[in-house]
Amino acid sequence: MSESGLVTRGLTVRYGGVVANDSIDLEVRPGTVVGLIGPNGAGKTTLVDAVTGFTQAEGAIELNGRSLAAMPPHRRKAQGLTRTWQSAELFGELTVEENLLVSAREIGFRSLVRDVFGTSRGGSVDHALEAVGLMAVRDVLARDLTLGQQKLVGVARALAGRCDLLLLDEPAAGLDSNESLELGEQVRSIARSGPGILLIDHDMSLVLNVCDLVYVLEFGKMIFHGTPAQARVDAAVAAAYLGSPMEEADA
Amino acid sequence: MSTYLEFAVLGLGLATVYVGLGTGLLLVYRATGIVNFAQGAMAMWGVYVYATLQESGLLVLPIGSIQVADERGMDVWPAVAVGLVNAAVLGVLVHYLVFRPVRRAPDLAQVVVSIGLMITLQALAVIRFGPNHVPVESLFENDYVEVFGATLSQREMVMAAVMVVLALGVWAYLRFTYSGAATRAASENERGAVLMGFNPDRLALVAMVMGALVSTAGVLMASTLTGLSPGNYTLMVVPALAVLLIARLESIGAVVLGGLALGIFQSELSLIAAKPWWPVWAKSGLDQVVPFIVIMLILFVLGKRLPARGSLQSVRLPDVALPRFRPVPIAVMLAIAVTLILVLDDTYRFGFTTSLIISLLALSYVVITGYLGQISLAQAAFAGVAGFALAKVTASWAMPFPLAIVLCALVATLFGVAVALPAFRIRGVQLAIVTVAAALAIERFVFGNYSLTPPSGNPIGKPELFGISFAVREGRDLARPEFSFMVLAVVTLVIVMFVRIARGDTGRAFLAVRANERAAASAGIDVRRTKLMGFGVSAFIAGVAGTLLGYSHGQLSADSFSLVVGLQVFAFAYLGGITSFGGALVAGMLGPLGLIYTAMHAWFEMGDYYHLISGLALILTAILNPSGIAGETKHQIAWVRKRAGRSRSTGAPDVEEPPAEVAQERKAEHV
Repeated sequence: MSESGLVTRGLTVRYGGVVANDSIDLEVRPGTVVGLIGPNGAGKTTLVDAVTGFTQAEGAIELNGRSLAAMPPHRRKAQGLTRTWQSAELFGELTVEENLLVSAREIGFRSLVRDVFGTSRGGSVDHALEAVGLMAVRDVLARDLTLGQQKLVGVARALAGRCDLLLLDEPAAGLDSNESLELGEQVRSIARSGPGILLIDHDMSLVLNVCDLVYVLEFGKMIFHGTPAQARVDAAVAAAYLGSPMEEADA
Repeated sequence: MSTYLEFAVLGLGLATVYVGLGTGLLLVYRATGIVNFAQGAMAMWGVYVYATLQESGLLVLPIGSIQVADERGMDVWPAVAVGLVNAAVLGVLVHYLVFRPVRRAPDLAQVVVSIGLMITLQALAVIRFGPNHVPVESLFENDYVEVFGATLSQREMVMAAVMVVLALGVWAYLRFTYSGAATRAASENERGAVLMGFNPDRLALVAMVMGALVSTAGVLMASTLTGLSPGNYTLMVVPALAVLLIARLESIGAVVLGGLALGIFQSELSLIAAKPWWPVWAKSGLDQVVPFIVIMLILFVLGKRLPARGSLQSVRLPDVALPRFRPVPIAVMLAIAVTLILVLDDTYRFGFTTSLIISLLALSYVVITGYLGQISLAQAAFAGVAGFALAKVTASWAMPFPLAIVLCALVATLFGVAVALPAFRIRGVQLAIVTVAAALAIERFVFGNYSLTPPSGNPIGKPELFGISFAVREGRDLARPEFSFMVLAVVTLVIVMFVRIARGDTGRAFLAVRANERAAASAGIDVRRTKLMGFGVSAFIAGVAGTLLGYSHGQLSADSFSLVVGLQVFAFAYLGGITSFGGALVAGMLGPLGLIYTAMHAWFEMGDYYHLISGLALILTAILNPSGIAGETKHQIAWVRKRAGRSRSTGAPDVEEPPAEVAQERKAEHV
């Protein structure tokens, strides 16, 4: 495989006897927005964790033709694979800018020597702040922001530094409909600037309006992939959503 | 063969202590989630009460004492009963005054509180019962029985049997009673237990008292063999913590088996170590090396599978305000320091210089705990490693002084990184346990090891640069200003280094790891490497402090860098404010042998009370004001500036006491 973008083949995650992701094949091309939807407990967040290295998985994961399967999370990030979290997970006592700088600068023995003896060089984070429209709050402590802003900081943090592929885990959860619309715009414009995006959300209108392609997960299995227009009329997708999602607890 | 059997039985004496303390630790942990580093110190108190009563009929209380029997002493069993009642009362007091206020606090505050309690009780024991070793009257007749040709001491067997029965009693409480079941439930899921209508507070009280009684019984029986001093059973908590980990913080049965096995093993080892083929260098300090190895092995094998305790909520670590370089305050501080060095007489100049050095040791805690959020209690041991390395390099290689400092601090860095290796898999209290065991092992195995550090002394060459001597003593001059200026320069350089790291990419990464390891990893931070760097930097700083202490003493012994010294500096670092270098400076001024200590000693003859006050102050700080004196002052400056119409705090860390009402307010939001 020498395709660019993210490719998974046969990605499988087991928690004890439960198969949370069952042989998932997925592709996200650069510059496109791909949606991943499914009822609660379908295994969406598990898939993000597996791709980014936060949970043990079998199968192939490649980014721009390079296998990531054996790498720990921070090395996958260094390859350009970045993610956000459902609950923002910011560094509360750091400012917005500092949150982004953590992601933009490489930390190691060299950074230590540079801190002591030289001056810090490295990526500015202005482009990431601008992409999500947070320039005005760059010096505010992350924990003092509203939930919507915190989620955007999460996105900006994922964009700071190298970002070839961005996984957004329920970025719209907890946002009002205006914020959600705005987020959709920002997601589109980020994709236009280059990286591929995998967008996971419950907000069907957001996903169907923003995405170029949609995957649907149910009980850990991929039951559909196609365009949003096809998804709207697909019987299996409708059954998955209109079935009885109440039986499932969210992961 | 019969000798091995005899030593196995002798090992039961030690095993009695391990089972007693281990059972107490486990009970308290199950009921409160707190690993009580003061379990040994608490147990010691009741035994002291017993020993004094039995000896002279005097009931010694923390304040005052009562002659309850005639001066020839009380009978053994009534005295035991009174001793145990005292232990129970101590358990009640500790529950209400010390542990209950921090039951929702973060791990760090709980570790700090229990260490403060340990320092307090040990200091109080010195004040009330004296610093000397006292014999303790035996409870049981000593007879010997012949088994397989071995002459076995009956006393140890009876002691161990009594202890096992007591531990089984605790097991039965947890297993069969309603409150015991509730305690177990609460330790799995406190919220659940509260919703079910249990009162975790009362369960904790029962566990504290029961734990204190069992531990006191164990120490009481064992101390009849060894005698009692304020220090010996206080530090027995370290091997008992190894036993607690063997039991995975869960099973009383495993505490009993682990305690017995460890006691017998250590006894046999002392027999084996006496064989001619056993290397001389590996003879010393085995009693502390074994528990350390046990702890490391268990954490490596079990690692993440040790249960974490679910609690209702937790309070954040104190905030970090990134340090800034502002020329005016820095110039003022340096000017004050220079003036003090020039104005003070020998005694006080030496105290002030020691304060500067202790500030560095405290700063190493600021890096590892304040910035990286990891609890390391081994910083004094790292300092000691550098100090002893300095003795070697200046004596054998005649290495020039600035180079020697850097090289020896790098040796300390190696030790720091080595101790950090288990930090990959563990954090919080478990890391505190590892580092405390490591500190004790290094202290006993390296510093106290005559084949590595000769008892005749470890003289350290005099520092000299470009023909100028910076030695601390010359002729009748006992604290030369040249030495103080050299220390001031080194300390300033290290602080500048710290500030640059703290403000740089690395410091930011430390804070990110402290805040959220998972998120840090997703932001591209190699959490393991970052922790290694943190341990390395902090051990380096501690190492520099160690070399300076070495130069200032001119001669080192194992006591120079004991665990207790390290814990005290940790106490003051927390007291001063664990998240800022201003806090480290405060800690230096307050720290052992520093300026304030010297003054207290000279004015009030209060050497013993100094330790007591430091312990009490630590407990109070952890309960009332986790951001420490410097942090609190910063809050107040920010508040004043806000009132004055300026939005952002630019206040320098200062060393004033916070006004009481602010401390009160913070208490309210804390509880």
